[in-house]
Amino acid sequence: MATKTLKNGMKVLVQTDRSIPNIALYIFYRVGSRNEGPGTTGISHFFEHMMFNGAKKYGPGELDKVMEANGGANNAYTTRDVTVYQDWFPRSALPLIYDIEADRIRDLSFDPAKIKSEREVVASERRLRTDNDNGGLLDEQLWATSYIAHPYQWPVVGWMSDIEHWTIGQLKHHFEMGYAPNNATMVVTGDVSPEEIFALCEKYIEPIPSHAPPPPVSTVEPEQLGERRVIVRKPAQLPLVLVAYHIPHTNSPDYYALNVLRTVLFQGESSRMYQRLVDKDQIALDVSSSVEPAFDPNIVEVVAQPKQGVDPQKCERAMYEEFENAKNAMISDTELEKAKNIRLAEFYREMRTINGRANTIGTYEVFFGDYRKLFDAAKNYSAVTKEDVQRVAKAFFGANNRTVATLIPENAEEKAKP
Amino acid sequence: MNRVRRGLHVLPLTMAALFLASSAAAQTLHMPPHEKYVLKNGLTVLLLEKHGVPMINLLAIVKTGSTADPAGEDGLASITAGLLRKGTKARTAQQFAADLDYIGGDFEAEAGADFSSVSAEFLTKDLTRGLELFSDALLHPTFPQAEVEKLLAQSIDGVRGAKDDPQQVLGLYYYGYLYGTHPYGRPAAGDEVSLQRIKRDAIVKFYEANYAPGNTLLAVAGEFNGAEMRKKLDDVFGGWAARTVAPAQIAAAPPVKGKRLLLVDKDDATQTYFAFGNVGIARTDPDRVAIRVVNTIFGGRFTSELNEALRVESGYTYGASSFFDSRKAPGPFGILSFTKNETTTPAIDLALQVLQKLHKDGVTDEQLKSAKSYIKGQFPPNIETSRQLAQIIASNEFYGLGDDDINQLEARVDAVTPEMAKQVIQKHFPAENLVFVLIGKTSAIGKAVEKYAEKRDAKAISEPGFWPPPSAVIK
Repeated sequence: MATKTLKNGMKVLVQTDRSIPNIALYIFYRVGSRNEGPGTTGISHFFEHMMFNGAKKYGPGELDKVMEANGGANNAYTTRDVTVYQDWFPRSALPLIYDIEADRIRDLSFDPAKIKSEREVVASERRLRTDNDNGGLLDEQLWATSYIAHPYQWPVVGWMSDIEHWTIGQLKHHFEMGYAPNNATMVVTGDVSPEEIFALCEKYIEPIPSHAPPPPVSTVEPEQLGERRVIVRKPAQLPLVLVAYHIPHTNSPDYYALNVLRTVLFQGESSRMYQRLVDKDQIALDVSSSVEPAFDPNIVEVVAQPKQGVDPQKCERAMYEEFENAKNAMISDTELEKAKNIRLAEFYREMRTINGRANTIGTYEVFFGDYRKLFDAAKNYSAVTKEDVQRVAKAFFGANNRTVATLIPENAEEKAKP
Repeated sequence: MNRVRRGLHVLPLTMAALFLASSAAAQTLHMPPHEKYVLKNGLTVLLLEKHGVPMINLLAIVKTGSTADPAGEDGLASITAGLLRKGTKARTAQQFAADLDYIGGDFEAEAGADFSSVSAEFLTKDLTRGLELFSDALLHPTFPQAEVEKLLAQSIDGVRGAKDDPQQVLGLYYYGYLYGTHPYGRPAAGDEVSLQRIKRDAIVKFYEANYAPGNTLLAVAGEFNGAEMRKKLDDVFGGWAARTVAPAQIAAAPPVKGKRLLLVDKDDATQTYFAFGNVGIARTDPDRVAIRVVNTIFGGRFTSELNEALRVESGYTYGASSFFDSRKAPGPFGILSFTKNETTTPAIDLALQVLQKLHKDGVTDEQLKSAKSYIKGQFPPNIETSRQLAQIIASNEFYGLGDDDINQLEARVDAVTPEMAKQVIQKHFPAENLVFVLIGKTSAIGKAVEKYAEKRDAKAISEPGFWPPPSAVIK
């Protein structure tokens, strides 16, 4: 791995891998929906779309056309914390990709006609992922209830009324705030040498001036002092239950122990939760947990998919008992060993493609402050003890620290009743 | 759930793994060397050594898929595959899970239309244990009654849950309405009615009739020593008793004549999800590369004609695309998108116009050139991991394609001429004969969409089954 910090403050990380004649280039901007406010929720994500809709040299629609005509493809994603742009291309497209990236970082244009149609595209995306998807809909309610002060409370895609109303002025402000080169990290993996990349960066990226990064997010979510519950009633065949527990931010010493605990409880058909809810009690089809990388104090999200007709509270009770078991007694040596083996295999799965590597290296650099933590991960997991796992179970998985979101199916006949 | 992507071709089809598995790069692109041999019991073995990542992938293709499900028992092949790990001669389901998870391994078994597949992935250091687990499930399942009941109950609820998300089931309704009672019209994973009819005896019979070495291809790819692997495979699979299996036959379905439309009512939908098209091509169709090039232009990438029209220019949708799901016999072709209730007919009209324009104007030289670069440039990441390579060598062997399907791809892409493009448009992209399936709010869109077809059908998403309705299959 070679690294270089450009004069304008952008850090560039390069890992050469010539197993296929392709390159993955990821740019992580440290701006996401946590940098928004009421009235502009979702603007980071909308802005992500606008980054493909024309700049000075490559006008509306041209970026995609030129990139694809040269064998490249792209995508991007926005989270509560970051906006990430991804280019995948054969090495022959190399100078072109830098020309495109520099053009849009430096000279993005805001075409009112494009803003209008892209607003509709994003509204369609919201209908797809949230309004017409029970999991997405309930997830939105969960976060909105779990956080009462911190900006993690609103959805990345934004509330529909904000999608309909943000202004060109607000978009320009967002660009000026978030898109400083010193607020970004570039990761390149694949069929290319660090020297080639650094030379391209000097030519295309380094001349772009740095400026102030987004103002810090100073709001701290206050401690949760009791269980919160939210219910969604809508037509559905199956109920759904999500539970969130507050945990520390990603770059915290508890990160590894929490992952070991989640692995023991949720990963694989031998996990405690699967064994209990799916296999033994047969009240759920599936049970899982997830944590997104986060700069600020975070939540772990648990999903149980009850079977048809099963009271979601039955699933809740079973899960709470399993959390209690993990607090009352230490996990076994076999479980600890298993969790570490699973983490190791996952590491290889993430790192076996140039795309996976670019994303993982960037995630560690941005959220842990240093990509080298990635290579310490195995060591850090090895250091986790049964006592650590029990400690984090006790510290975070209590009733007062949880938020429960439940989807209750409501059929058409019931709805018609007065 | 907390990531929102710019997106691309959002595929509502659960079975759409083969959204045109893209194509080649620099002139040097080729499959890594691999070997093929046949054990005495008839098991075909494909070995591909790939160093760099200490993992091994196993993939067995059992050459019988869901098309062999008896009428009214859709899901039998799928349930059989799903039960392989749920109790073996050596292990209970719980012991199997514990042993697999302990090594951080992956195990998957499923039935597609053409074949069933059983796969495993584990670290090279765990080769002995991983191979033993894989073969235990493949060769020695016991199908305990309690596990049969559990999996059937879960699968029935799985279908119900999928219907809460139109995107997950659009393809199932579309395939059903397009193919009718032809095997490609049936839901591979079964439906709420067919799964209730499946009994343990039928599962055991299905397993015994089809899971035999002569009916199976085993691909092994990853970091291992070839000689050592051959010996281990001999030890593990050499004793698998040979059995005669009648090869699965799938008749070609003729394209649908005329127009018809199925409207699936989901009363709370704020967006209409639609698919339309007709029967497409077989996996071995000689026109397949030219079709891939044309479909890339038409609906196979972000700047495709469909996505440009329905997303980029009009903002009707987050994504519009087209696909050929090529199979042993001709599989479906379809155009897919979704849009808010209010713009349902403008969006479908526009998609139809794009299709008409393809027939009328064909593709430009510039588009051809661009699509060729795109296919070649995006192909290498499809042969990057041993997991992908195991799938490719097994699938190519199953379809009788061989390495040329990859090794010649670039030359074949380059050889596509404007004349060939014209021919495949006429021959393979439907124009007038179209089957439409829509999932949406009937009370809002029902009247307006009547104009697309004289022959129309309707059902509610809450009704069991897909299409034809289960009652029409079994009297």
